[in-house]
This record gives sequence, C-alpha cells and structure tokens, in this order.
Amino acid sequence: MITDGLEVLNVGLPLIVEALDPATVTQLDWRPPAFGDDAAARAALSLADERTRAANDKAMDAIHAVRPQLVGVKPATEVVPGMAEGRILLHAGPPIEFERMCGPMRGALIGATLLEGWADDPDGAQRLLASGGIRLEPCHHHQAVGPMAGVLAPSMPVLVASDGGRSAYASLNEGLGRVLRFGAYDEEVVGRLRWMREVLGPAIDRAVQLRGPVDTTALFGQALAMGDEAHNRNVAASSLLARRLAPAIATLDHGVAVLEFLAANDHFALNLSMAGAKLSMDAAIGIPDSTIVTAMARNGVEFGLRVAGTGEQWFTAPVGPADGLFFPGYGIEDANPDLGDSAITETLGVGGFAMAASPAITQFIGGTTSDATATTLRMRRITTRPHPAFPLPPLNFAGTPSGIDVLKVLDTGVLPVINTGIAHREAGVGQIGAGIVEAPPEVFLAAVGALAARR
Amino acid sequence: MTSSPVLQARVFPRLYRDSVNLMALASALEKTEGVIRVGAVMGTPANLEILARSQMLPEELAAVPDDLVIVVRGVDQATVTGALGAAATSLTEVREDGPASRPAPATVAEGIAAATKAGHAPNLAAISVPGTYAAVVAEQALRSGLHVFCFSDNMAVEDEVRLKRLAVADELLMMGPDCGTAIVDGRPLGFANVVRAGSVGIVAASGTGAQEVSCLLDRAGAGISQLIGVGGRDLSAAVEGLMTRHAVRLLAADDDTEVIVVVSKPPAPEVADRLLEELVRAGKPAVACLLDMPDAEEPVRVRGTLEGGARAAAELLGLSLQIADPPITAGVPRQVLGLFAGGTLAAEAKVLLGRAGVDAEIIDLGGDEYTVGRPHPMIDPGYRTERIADAGSRPETGVLLLDVVLGHAASAEPTLPLIEAIEAARASAGADGRELVVVASVCGTAGDPQGLARQRELLVSADVIVCDSNASAARTAALAAGAAQTVEGELR
Repeated sequence: MITDGLEVLNVGLPLIVEALDPATVTQLDWRPPAFGDDAAARAALSLADERTRAANDKAMDAIHAVRPQLVGVKPATEVVPGMAEGRILLHAGPPIEFERMCGPMRGALIGATLLEGWADDPDGAQRLLASGGIRLEPCHHHQAVGPMAGVLAPSMPVLVASDGGRSAYASLNEGLGRVLRFGAYDEEVVGRLRWMREVLGPAIDRAVQLRGPVDTTALFGQALAMGDEAHNRNVAASSLLARRLAPAIATLDHGVAVLEFLAANDHFALNLSMAGAKLSMDAAIGIPDSTIVTAMARNGVEFGLRVAGTGEQWFTAPVGPADGLFFPGYGIEDANPDLGDSAITETLGVGGFAMAASPAITQFIGGTTSDATATTLRMRRITTRPHPAFPLPPLNFAGTPSGIDVLKVLDTGVLPVINTGIAHREAGVGQIGAGIVEAPPEVFLAAVGALAARR
Repeated sequence: MTSSPVLQARVFPRLYRDSVNLMALASALEKTEGVIRVGAVMGTPANLEILARSQMLPEELAAVPDDLVIVVRGVDQATVTGALGAAATSLTEVREDGPASRPAPATVAEGIAAATKAGHAPNLAAISVPGTYAAVVAEQALRSGLHVFCFSDNMAVEDEVRLKRLAVADELLMMGPDCGTAIVDGRPLGFANVVRAGSVGIVAASGTGAQEVSCLLDRAGAGISQLIGVGGRDLSAAVEGLMTRHAVRLLAADDDTEVIVVVSKPPAPEVADRLLEELVRAGKPAVACLLDMPDAEEPVRVRGTLEGGARAAAELLGLSLQIADPPITAGVPRQVLGLFAGGTLAAEAKVLLGRAGVDAEIIDLGGDEYTVGRPHPMIDPGYRTERIADAGSRPETGVLLLDVVLGHAASAEPTLPLIEAIEAARASAGADGRELVVVASVCGTAGDPQGLARQRELLVSADVIVCDSNASAARTAALAAGAAQTVEGELR
C-alpha cells in the first residue's frame, strides 16, 4: 500500500477524480497564487518554511504581549523623537515630496505651518513648504501615526501610549467638519488647534495624571463588545474614555468646554486606537525573516507597506479612492485617493478585520451582519493568530484576526480590507464619505521579492 | 409639456438609522431612473445645513434631530413619489437571511486544514491547473507531505527535476507533470480503466500505454496492484528516470506486487541502462515494455510493443494473453492512415507498420499541435471525426486505423460520433469508386463505464474490423494494406 486509504486534495478539474468516492476528495476553489505572478509565487514558496514560521511566532508573541497605556498628553516637541530640532512637520503614509502631495495633505501642512507661526498667511506657508524650508517626514519615522493627512506639528499635543520602555504617539482628534486632517486651514481650523494645544491637551493630560494611565487594550476590548470596530466606529470607546476622565476634567478650568468637545466627537478615541496599534506593531519591526506586516499607511498618492523582516523599508504602489458611501451632494469623482495612517488598526487586526463586531456599519461591506462576519472570516485567511485580548462576540468570542502574513496574502489572493473615511480631493472641503479599500497587490509582490532577496 | 425637476422630502418621525445605513439607502435610490439626487439624514441642524448647502433642503421642511429625513430630487413628481415610497419600504424592511456559509478552501494549505478537520486528511494532491502554476502547487503539496498526481503539462524541465528530487528525498510520488493515468491503492486517477486488482505493478511514462497494458492484463486474467504514472519525460536524459526508478523501488518493497512492468516510449540510452539495473535490483520478475526496443530476455525481459509487454507479464504469472487477429485476406498495396486519440497507441502502431514495411501515416491527434484551443480527443471526439470524414476524399488512403479509449474521464460516448464520420468517409470514397477498409481496437474493459462489449458491437455494426489489441489492429491494417511480409514474433 502506498497510502492508508487514498484521500485526495483536488486542485483543478473535477474530471480527474470523477472515479473516486466524493467523500475522499477535497475540491479546492483554486485560483492562481500571487495574483498570477509566477515569480512572486515561487519567492513566497521559497520562504514558506520553518525559519519563517519561527520568526513569525516570535513577531506575534511580541505584538500580542504589548499592553499600551495612555500615560499622558504632551507637546510633540517634548516627546516625539526628532521633533525638537529645527522646522519639521510630520505627515501620513510613506515618504513623499511636497510637490507630489495631494490637496488635503498640502492644506494640512499649510495649516500646521500657520499654527507654528512659521508664516503669516497661507501663501507664505505654501511658499515656505514648496521651497523646502520645512523638513517633511512620515509620522511612522517618528513612532507616530496620524489619521487622514496625519499632519503633526511640534507644538501640537500628542497622546502618549507606552508599555515598558517604548512609546508611540498620535495627534488629538479634532472632530468632523472643517478640520486640518482633511486639509482645511482657515482661521476656524487653526483657532481650534490653538485651543486644543492650550486647553484640551493639558486638560486631558492632567486628567490622566489624576485618574491614572488608561489601559487601551482593555478599553478597545470593551468597545469591540459594544459595537465599535476601533477604526470607523469609535462611539463606544470615545464614550468609555470620556466617562473615565470626566470626573477629573470636571474639576479643571475650562472643564465644561473640554467635556463638550469630547461629547461632540464620536471619533475622539480613534487616535488612541491608532497609537496603541502603532506601539503594538512596532514591537515586531526588524525581526529577521518575519513576513508579518508591521504597517499599512497611505499618503493620498501612494499606499505604503512595511514588513517585520525588512525593517524600515517601505513598499509602495499608487493608491486609488475608496469605494464608499458619500454624504449628500458628493460622489466618487470628488474623492481624494485613500489617505492616512489609520490602517495601522487593520494591521493589528481591528478596523475592517473586526467588522463582525460592528453591526452598525455593515452597510460598508454589503449591508448584512452576515457580510460583516464573512469579511472577518476572510481576514482570518491572511492572518497569523487571533488576538487574545480582542474577542469578537458574534464569532463566539474568537479573537479578531491578527498579524497579516505577506505569504498568506499571496497564497490566497485575499487582500487586507481597510475601513476608511473619504476626504474631498480639494484641501479644506473635509470628509465627504466613508467606505472600504483593499490594499493594492503590488506592495505584497514587492515585499516578497525583498524578503526572498534577504535570505 | 415638459415638467421641471421636483424636490420633495419625507420626514419619518423618531426613526433612527445609522448614517452609514442612510448613505447606503441614498446611494441605492440614486440609481433609480429619473432620480437626480437623494439626501438621507437624521434631522440634526448640522445635517440640515449640509442639505441646504447642496440645494437639497425644501423650504417647508420641519424636522428635529430625532427625525429621519429623506429628500429626493427627481425629473418629475411620479419619480420622486416612487423613490420616497421605496425609501419607506427599505426603512421598514425586516431581514431574515442567516449567517454566511464558509467558503470552499482555495489553497493547498487551506484544503489540507479543511479536509483534516473533516476527518479526511489528504495524502495525495491531484493537480490540473495551468502549467505555469503547477510547479508551485506541486511543491506546496510535496512539502506538506502529499503524493502528487500532476495532470498539468507545460512545466519547465528544471522544475520537474527539482520536484522529483524533492519527492524522492521525502519518499513521495511525483506522478507527472503530464501524467494522464494512475491507479493508487486501487483508486483510479485521471484516465484510468476499471481493471481487476492483482499482483502486477506498473510504472508508466506513457498514459495510453499504461491503459493498454493494464487492459490487456485484465483480459489475460491478471490484475493490477499499483499503476504509477511518472509523466512522459521521466526517462529523458534530463530527468534520468528519477521517478520511474523510485517507483520501481517502491513496488519492489510492496508485498502485493509480484511482477513489475515498466511502460515507456524509448528512453535515452544511458537512462535505459540505469532503469534495467534498477529492475534487476528489485529482485522481482520484471518486464521493460519499451516501445520499438528489440525484444530481449536479459537482464530482464524487454519488449518493444505494449501487447508484447502485457503478454510477457501475464506469462510470468502463469497466464496467457489470447489475441486472435481477425482472418482477412491480404489487400493490395495502399496507404494506412492512422488517426489516434492515444499517443502511445499511435506510437505502437507506427512501430509495427514500420516493421511491416507498409506506407503509413500515423497521426496522434492528442499531440500538442492538435490540442491547442481544443479538448483532447479522448474527452471530445469532435475534431477526430472531422479528420476521419476527410479521409474518404484522400485517394491514396485505403485503410483507416483507429483506436477507441474507454475508462474514467474519457468521453462517455466515444464510438457513435466515429461511426457517423466513418460512414461519411466511406460515402465519399465510394463516390470516387474506392473502398475504405476501417480497422480499430478498443482499449478498455468490461467494467469501464462505457462498456467494452457495447463499443465493440457498435464498431462491428458499422463494418469496422475490430481487433483485440492495438497491436493486432496495426497488424491487421498492415495486412489489409498489402504487407508483403510478416515480422518475426509480431506480424503473422
């Protein structure tokens, strides 16, 4: 006997196994691997071994061991590495020069330049930026993340998420409407940023000092059980955070104004979700041979991917607008290409990956909770492990799928889904809708080539 | 009379829907013919302001934040009324669909996981995906510890060598690429006939060659322990018989196998030597059935035809293969046209007709040049019937030689279309005052789904001379085409 009873995996024509007992045949719904790129499929195959598995285990252990704590809100210049030297502004996504930036990102940089007092008016700010008078670098290069344009200026307050000796940072969420992250830079916007710098940031920092650090894993774990997915829906986490800090805030000068701001902002916790995810994913950067994705980020022109085994290298590809649902009066023709560092949430395994937890926003992916569950189950196919601290009630409390494996993306042809807001292509118009995007295949093809070349 | 656009709102008091839900509703309504723009919002001051900014706020509208507001701008009143009605229906709809079913596994890893969970952990992967990807899938399967049956062709020879080395190192079978037939532990894969179980282990670098030998053994009363295909290139100089030799070692160790038969087109000479050494080492009675090689008894029995190989194997088991060539009178010299579905059957016919010194044109219609953009003739006889019908108008052709291959995966009705074509060919030959002799054999067994007896009867009823083996059909065709002499041992 060659086998203990033939059991067949059929890859291709059913005709080949028509003579067999169907119970002994598993038919694959096969399609070409690596999006049809034979060389990439071979590179992926060459990496699919014990060495990679061991490296990925190490990466996932490190990522899941992180328990980010919100320990304070501080001016970026005091805490964010490299923000104290000269004129510097950070932006979302992979590196990009000012000339190639999209409208909302340019607008946000103009607003930040005005906030810092480096120019007297928008024209002056534009000239200063275009002339290279301000260093422009990705947030991700400074242990930071920012939603949409993701522009961070030295004087802005940042959320400080820490665990052990490491920290990650994110700006404070401004709310909806005319806001800097969508490229608006008029006096209303800059005025609000000044207020956030002078009132909101210090107040929240003081409240955190009074009430003690906030465990973000516990916060978002609870929010996932309350219908958030911690990217496009943050109403539960924002409420929980406000509730926790409110008794302290209420005692402060301007306490009512701060509480009113928090009460009106359903997305306030998004930036904390991002900072926590960033801190978690940074734990895996540079683990040799690991094929786990450590960052997905968009700058409005390109999508950028980072993988643990290739350290700080970006793999980029052009990015298109999100397929989404639009506010009255707007359509996809008005949409800016996808933007923001917020896909760090999906990189950890929440956001689009936790769709099953968030029935309220299933319209983005078809409209039924079955569609939401199917989306989360599909993400399981490209991830490494369930996240032990983020159980999803509709999946019998299985952990949300966590740790995107480049090799699995290529093998299955399943792309990570990312929930996202949609910005108007012109600076300052603001958010015009929300929807989902898929990461572009090209970045995974490029990553596998680089990973294979390092062997 | 032309109507001007209509803007109308409907307020649903104290009805809440998430904004995402409302945007989806608006987007769906905007796809309605005649609808220009839809706003669907909760009636908060901010939302009403958004509506006003996009000229979507009717002047008389009164709504509070708890109210759900639908505003429709359409080409006429009927359209707007219809859209508002549809919105109301959609907002009150109750969904009853259950949770989504799990999708079928799509990759080797997912397939193994799903099958294992279901209690059917796979031990073999059957691969018939485009050749470009077959090497990747086969390697995934081998590295997961699965044997591979690779029906796909067009695999680079370097890949074949690499994969076969990998398989040999892990003591796995890499059957193919371009492997059409196998019977593993009694289970047929690809084009395989329903043959009895027994003690002959076959290793075949040729699909229809293996089918013919296994069917002839079945006819002689012998059965098959294993039929291991290795792909047509295995005995080439490049692949060095890697898998053939591995399979011979495997059969040598297999208690159910008493006689080993290797079937192939002629191997590269140095590869043939190593193969014969391996067969000697196997320590079991063995037959090397290598087309067109001269018959020999040492170091193992070597036979140059499929029929000769099957006969030798049967004799090693004390059985005899009875093949009676039909009694026909020798014809006048004329050309034999062979139109074959089976590649090795075509090759065997070519050998025998060559030895008989007959003018013959033997075409393998399953060859690459004939199967680009069309199915293999064993699956779909369509193109072969065209060629058969055309044969009637070839003045030089006096004898038409055919094969019919039965078994799993082959055409369910292989003979009927041939008969129609034969009749057409005879009609056009007759119109020219020529006679067309048609000789055929059926490669199959009584147990095959198509039924051996029925297929033979269909051919006989169409005045086709039906022979018991492909070799017999070739000899008969040679005789009908005026073969002047017989070939020792093969052509009477």
